[in-house]
Amino acid sequence: MKSILNGLLLFTLIYLLADVFVSSSTIGFSNLEVYTTLYGNEEEFLDPITPSAFLEYLHTQIFFMMMILLTLSAIFLRLSGANSFAILSVNSLMLSALTTLIFLALVYFMQYDALITPYIFFFVSWHLIALYMTIISLWRLNFATSI
Amino acid sequence: MQQAYRYSILYFLAFSLLLLASSILLFNERIGFSYGSVLEYYLGNEESFIMAKRPSGLLKIILPHIFGFGLFIMVVLHFVMFTKTNKKRIMPYLISATFISGFIELFSPFFILYGFEFFAYLKLLSLFVFESLLLYMFWILYSSIINK
Repeated sequence: MKSILNGLLLFTLIYLLADVFVSSSTIGFSNLEVYTTLYGNEEEFLDPITPSAFLEYLHTQIFFMMMILLTLSAIFLRLSGANSFAILSVNSLMLSALTTLIFLALVYFMQYDALITPYIFFFVSWHLIALYMTIISLWRLNFATSI
Repeated sequence: MQQAYRYSILYFLAFSLLLLASSILLFNERIGFSYGSVLEYYLGNEESFIMAKRPSGLLKIILPHIFGFGLFIMVVLHFVMFTKTNKKRIMPYLISATFISGFIELFSPFFILYGFEFFAYLKLLSLFVFESLLLYMFWILYSSIINK
C-alpha cells in the first residue's frame, strides 16, 4: 500500500507542477495575460477566447481538480490523523480551488475584470497548499514513525 | 476522523455541482436543447456553414467522457452506498439507471449520424435523466452529511 500511495502522490506532485505551466500558457499567469486571453486585444488584433473554448477549459479543470483534490485530501487526512491543522489545510485548499473556478467564470461571463488579481491569488494559493499537502503526505508516509 | 472526511465529500459535492453546471452551459453553447439544434450539430447545415460530424471525430469527443463518466458515477455511487439512507431498496435501480442513461447520452449521436434521427430526442432525454439522477444522488449525500 505504501508504494502505491508513494506513486500516486508523486504523480499528484507532477500534475500540480504541470498544471501551473499549462494554465499559464492557456489562460495566463499575469493580470495582462489573463485579461488578453479572456477579452482579447484590439490593438494587437488578438481575439478573445470563445465561450465554447472557455467552457471546455473550465469543465476539464473542474473534473481534474475535484478528483485530484478529493484523493489528496483523503490521503492527507489519513496520514495526519485528521488534526485541526489538517482540517484547516483541507478547508483552505478546497475553498481556494472553488474560488479560483468561480472567479474565473465571473471574470469571463460577468466581465468583472477586478477579480483577475484575486483569481491569480487563489490559483497560486490552492497550488501551494496542494503542494504542501503532497510533500507532507510523502514525508509522513516514508519518514514519520508515529503513524 | 469521520467529521474530517465529511468536509472532503461536501467539497466534492460543490465541485460536482460546478461540473454539472458547466456541462449544461457547454451543451447549450455547442449543441442546444432543441431537437433541431441536436440534428444540426451532428448532421451539419449547409446554410449555416456547419460541417457534419464524422464518426472518428465523434469518438474523439466521447473517448475522455467514457472514462470520466465511469469514474465519476463510481465515485458518487460509492459515497451514496456508504450513507445511512433509507432508500437502499432503490439502489440497484439507481445504479442501473445512472449507467444506462450515461451510456445512451454518450452513444446516441452515432445513431443520429447513421440516419436514426429520432435518437436526437433520446440524446436530450438521456441527458435530462442522467443529470437528474446525479442531482438526486447529490441530494442523498448532502442530506446524509448534514443530518449525520
